Amino acid sequence: MEIRPILSALMRSKVAMILIGLQVALTLAIVCNALFIIGQRLDRMHRPSGMNEADTFMVSSTGFGQNFDAFATLKADLALLRGIPGVADVTPANSVPMSEGGWSTGLNLQPRQRTSSADTALYLVDDHALDTFGFKLVAGRGFKPEEAAEVNFGDRLQPASIIVTRALADKLFPGGDAVGKQVYMDEDPPTSTIVGVIERAQQPWMSSSSVEMSTLVPAFMPYGKSTRYLVRTEPGRRDAVMKDVEQKLAEANHGRIVGRLRTIETVRAEAYAGDRAMAVILGGVIVALLLITALGIVGMASFWVAQRTKQIGTRRALGATRGDILRYFMTENFVITTLGLAAGALLTYAFNYWLITHYQAQRLPLAYLGGGVLALWLLGQIAVFGPATRASRVPPAVATRSV
Amino acid sequence: MLRMNHLSKVYRTHLIETHALRDFSIHVREGEFVAVTGPSGSGKTTFLNIAGLLETFSGGEFFLDGVDVRGLDDNARSRLRNAKLGFIFQGFNLIPDLNLFDNVDVPLRYRGFNAAERKRRIEESLTRVGLASRMKHYPSELSGGQQQRVAIARALAGSPRLLLADEPTGNLDSLMARGVMELLEEINRQGTTIIMVTHDPELAARAQRNVHVMDGQVTDLDDEPRLRQPQEAAPARREATATGVTA
Amino acid sequence: MSAPNPTPSRGPQPGLSLIAYYLQLGWRSLRRNPVLTALMVIGIGLGIAASMTTLTVLHLTGADPIPWKSDRLHYVQLDNWSAEQPARDDGSPPDQVTYRDAMALMSARKADKQAAMFKLSLPIQPENRELKPFQALGRVTYADFFAMFEPPFQFGAPWNRDQDEGHARVVVLTRALNEKLFGGQDSTGRSLRMNDVDYTIVGVLDEWKLRFRYYDVTNGAFADPDEFFMPLTTAVDLKQRSTGNNSCWQSPGDGWEAYLNSDCVWLQMWVQLDTPARLAEYRDFLNSYVSEQKKLGRFPRPLNNRLLDVNQWIVDQRVVSRDMEVQTGLAFAFLAVCLVNTIGLLLAKFTRKAGEIGLRRALGASRADVFRQFLVESGVVGLSGGVLGLGLTALGLVAVRALYSEYRSVAQLDWTMVLTTIALAVVSAVLAGLYPTWRACRVQPAAQLKV
Repeated sequence: MEIRPILSALMRSKVAMILIGLQVALTLAIVCNALFIIGQRLDRMHRPSGMNEADTFMVSSTGFGQNFDAFATLKADLALLRGIPGVADVTPANSVPMSEGGWSTGLNLQPRQRTSSADTALYLVDDHALDTFGFKLVAGRGFKPEEAAEVNFGDRLQPASIIVTRALADKLFPGGDAVGKQVYMDEDPPTSTIVGVIERAQQPWMSSSSVEMSTLVPAFMPYGKSTRYLVRTEPGRRDAVMKDVEQKLAEANHGRIVGRLRTIETVRAEAYAGDRAMAVILGGVIVALLLITALGIVGMASFWVAQRTKQIGTRRALGATRGDILRYFMTENFVITTLGLAAGALLTYAFNYWLITHYQAQRLPLAYLGGGVLALWLLGQIAVFGPATRASRVPPAVATRSV
Repeated sequence: MLRMNHLSKVYRTHLIETHALRDFSIHVREGEFVAVTGPSGSGKTTFLNIAGLLETFSGGEFFLDGVDVRGLDDNARSRLRNAKLGFIFQGFNLIPDLNLFDNVDVPLRYRGFNAAERKRRIEESLTRVGLASRMKHYPSELSGGQQQRVAIARALAGSPRLLLADEPTGNLDSLMARGVMELLEEINRQGTTIIMVTHDPELAARAQRNVHVMDGQVTDLDDEPRLRQPQEAAPARREATATGVTA
Repeated sequence: MSAPNPTPSRGPQPGLSLIAYYLQLGWRSLRRNPVLTALMVIGIGLGIAASMTTLTVLHLTGADPIPWKSDRLHYVQLDNWSAEQPARDDGSPPDQVTYRDAMALMSARKADKQAAMFKLSLPIQPENRELKPFQALGRVTYADFFAMFEPPFQFGAPWNRDQDEGHARVVVLTRALNEKLFGGQDSTGRSLRMNDVDYTIVGVLDEWKLRFRYYDVTNGAFADPDEFFMPLTTAVDLKQRSTGNNSCWQSPGDGWEAYLNSDCVWLQMWVQLDTPARLAEYRDFLNSYVSEQKKLGRFPRPLNNRLLDVNQWIVDQRVVSRDMEVQTGLAFAFLAVCLVNTIGLLLAKFTRKAGEIGLRRALGASRADVFRQFLVESGVVGLSGGVLGLGLTALGLVAVRALYSEYRSVAQLDWTMVLTTIALAVVSAVLAGLYPTWRACRVQPAAQLKV
């Protein structure tokens, strides 16, 4: 439509234009960066752990007293748990993915290596591990029952066989032939043989830079008098079985505390609570900000309409239709918004640059800017529609009123 | 050119009914310069608004340049206004944020002329009122008389069949008023029909014909066109009022 | 017109009565355009609430937890890490110390007070048969801990240094654990069975209002609070392994003794140094200690000891998370948008009143009078926005507590923050009102009077 006269009229009342433009610019910068952060958090939260999360839960047992036999209890508990109806399988497990606590070590290809070849999380499990966790074997085999050895806490782990994730196997042996290869879990022999490769098993630490590098070690190794078990139930029976398990474990042995029953879904929720909170808060900021900006546009546009009532009447008297007046205000908003968005694009990347330098953020993809620009164009048009409609209803007879 | 028969206009609020025009009839022929006079509240502004298609009427007939205006919707009336009418307001009603060129351009934009045609018409009409050299100036940089000339240029740019003037000199001092009046007379001589609403009898006397409105009715209808007497030496005596622009 | 201001016209303080008059005018004016006023108040309220919610969490998280002595408490870091790679990527030393170094520093007693400590979770076997055995979280440390971090006692007192040396089986309970075990009665002198060992209760803490556990940031400043305290010497005697973080750069070897002598770090070491001179002395002492250890073949890395005080340690360990800082930054950008919004709306409002201003000026109001009147009106908007913002801030903090369970202790409004909120709102609104007010003042007295 008539952009040039609108623009030159706007240049005569710069302050109002700058205020709305500035508001649009700041809004664009905040919305784009906040959306980008939300997007990254959602991506992070949707990383697969590699395990069955729907039907599994953890339970821990802590014995007390001098006569407590951790190994005997462990064996008895496993037999008890595997016999409970609804339980599909059970493995001892010192930790699970996403639990933010566990063990890690370096793996070496040579003895007495100065820096380790790869860092890995360790999951101490038995021969039921693959079935219980639901890890997918892609090469080699699972553990055999005789491979899980009893190890006193504080003694060196010297497993003859280990299973590694594909990411770890590829890092250690880029040729893809990890099965059958030897690695050093310590500086010195003996070595451990990789007997199997699983597709994926995340480390317990969600912020780890090597989150896909995990190793399964066949070992019964209570932490002092504490043991943890991972239980997988038949689909849909998890919550009922959980209560059953807690009760039966407690009844079976009074010399210990049964506790820390947590579903893996809870573990995931807690691991990502911070990310989720960030996403929710930023989402709230975005909504509030768009609301404020929309209200600001409504307020300013209403003011302009009120201020220019006479002018509108004159235009109507000179032959403008209602549609012409409506379009005038819609176009005016479009022009202001566009100017604001141009400044906002610069501001967006300035803000992004600040996040990059201070918070190791990544460069904002253009798609976010494009989306933000479209959203604000739309927002401006929706916000101005009400005042513009009111403007179009100004009767032409206003032109002849003396005040 | 303009014919109203038994026109009535009633304003209704939820409490009272006001008859602004009652059984109002008038006939203005092509080429006439008619002054509509009457005290304030008499209904002359209502007449002007209806004549200018700014307001609808409640009953009767109204033909504008042969077009039956009854039942035209808002858009059709806007288009008719744009094509056939030119307006001159007491307060000039220039758009303060636009320069003279863009102000004169306003009705032409709605007419849908192309850029070259608009430019030609704007320059021509500003030349006609003697302000072609100040095209890039803004209204606030002009005197009241000059502003009203711009308003006249804006009214003329679309080559209207009928010019409606609402107290065109009401906000001007006598010297400026005279200049504007002479310009209107000049325009009328060149063939444009003019209806001027005023409460100033001296000014009305300079029109070819006077129509007096009282209580919403035409009380003094002189149907015969009177030849205009050239009266160069009869300046309207008016108190000078403060000049200034209402925001 | 309602009842006029009762202040007598010849009163001694015409300035005050004028302010009251302006307040009245501002209030009326705001009521005349309820929609525009509501937009401004909501705008300011939302902006204030967003920034104050994040600022409250930031302020309470980053605030000095023990202001009267935070510069005297220092966290000891010694770099005993591998020659090949630093403990942390930025080259700083490990965030905990080894058992053997902690013991060496404890027995040297070179600081005014010193306490090594670690985290230990133990099964508690209550006397009361109605209570099932349960796990409790404890802090294993030295008698000096209580003098250094000053927890308040409800009953009894801390154990003493002799009991540290004597490996005494004593324990101090928190008020919460004492409530649970003994119904809140004075339990000092009674015994508590933990992991089949009987301990004598020597003291019970009163409510200890720690916003976060600054003395053990390594195991989570916002993790579950400690429930009991016992001598470190006793716990080591009983071969109780820490349930906190443990990092090794080389295998500790087999067995308990090997572990105690290893280069694994798992203890926190705090010292109190009462003067800068003492701090300098202690630095020298640490350096000479490490140099001696180097002669024994330990500490292969270059000398890299650190003695950060409480606040430096909190910053170093990023107790204030990056997320929180980003949120605060965004919240203030949000406030900026709200202020720009308010400037626009005030401008709109004041421009509409050009006629009124012209009239007042013609009736004798000076430019300064007009300025004050409109500034007061902006202030009224700010005050209303502040009150709304305070309510929204309270709601925002409820949301923060729901989203971040660990911030329960810091997402609370205190008086400072309430006053800051109101002040921020009024100052923001007045600042936002400056330009519109200045514009309003420029109205010429005569220009608006012509009808």
